[in-house]
Amino acid sequence: MEATDSREMVIADAGPLIHLDELGCLDLLRDFSRVLVPDAVWREVERHRPTALIGLALERVQVEAADPRVATLSLTFTLHRGEREALTLLSCYPDALFLTDDTAAKLAAQAISTRVHGTLGLVVRALRRGQRSRDEVIGLLRAIPERTTLHIRPTLLREVISQVEAVGR
Amino acid sequence: MTMSVQAELPDQLARQGQELIKNGWAPDMNTLLTEALRRYLESHPEALAEAFVREDVQWGLHGGD
Repeated sequence: MEATDSREMVIADAGPLIHLDELGCLDLLRDFSRVLVPDAVWREVERHRPTALIGLALERVQVEAADPRVATLSLTFTLHRGEREALTLLSCYPDALFLTDDTAAKLAAQAISTRVHGTLGLVVRALRRGQRSRDEVIGLLRAIPERTTLHIRPTLLREVISQVEAVGR
Repeated sequence: MTMSVQAELPDQLARQGQELIKNGWAPDMNTLLTEALRRYLESHPEALAEAFVREDVQWGLHGGD
């Protein structure tokens, strides 16, 4: 089944771009209308996983100085520059979906938007959106510990896999 | 009680830490790294990370987008 464009705009932190590329499934982001990448995040990905920036129509965005709310959140949660720029962008586009795998960045982002998700959510979503079969999604989830730099407690990952296995049964 | 840990730091990060110590803003690298780790652990509690994973999977499986 071909997924329809969900027309969502996405603001990406480095983690999901890197982890999706490690899994070979960056194409999952094609389901979104635009993928904005703040300049500092772009540079971070360029340094650690440059292949993640090739092949998708990612939009590199120069971000102006943070607004006071973002500046305070960044200090409170000791966020990196990339996360700070992503939150600044999110404050300009509060309806956008923010993708990050960092716990502190997720917590800080929730002060601006409730629409904050990460790599695991995107991979599982691929099943609902018809981008991958159930077996393919399970294969990707199982590959996370060996193929990616995304860290998750093994028993929790097994629980997630069981949830996906149970879908439609 | 303390534990010794050997770690490799990126050059730039280590230099920034040394500069801070040299300028008198931190007593030594041990204190600086302990404080950095303490702050990281405070802002990344395991229970919260797990709660976010669960929310993420629910969105992935049942979200309305």
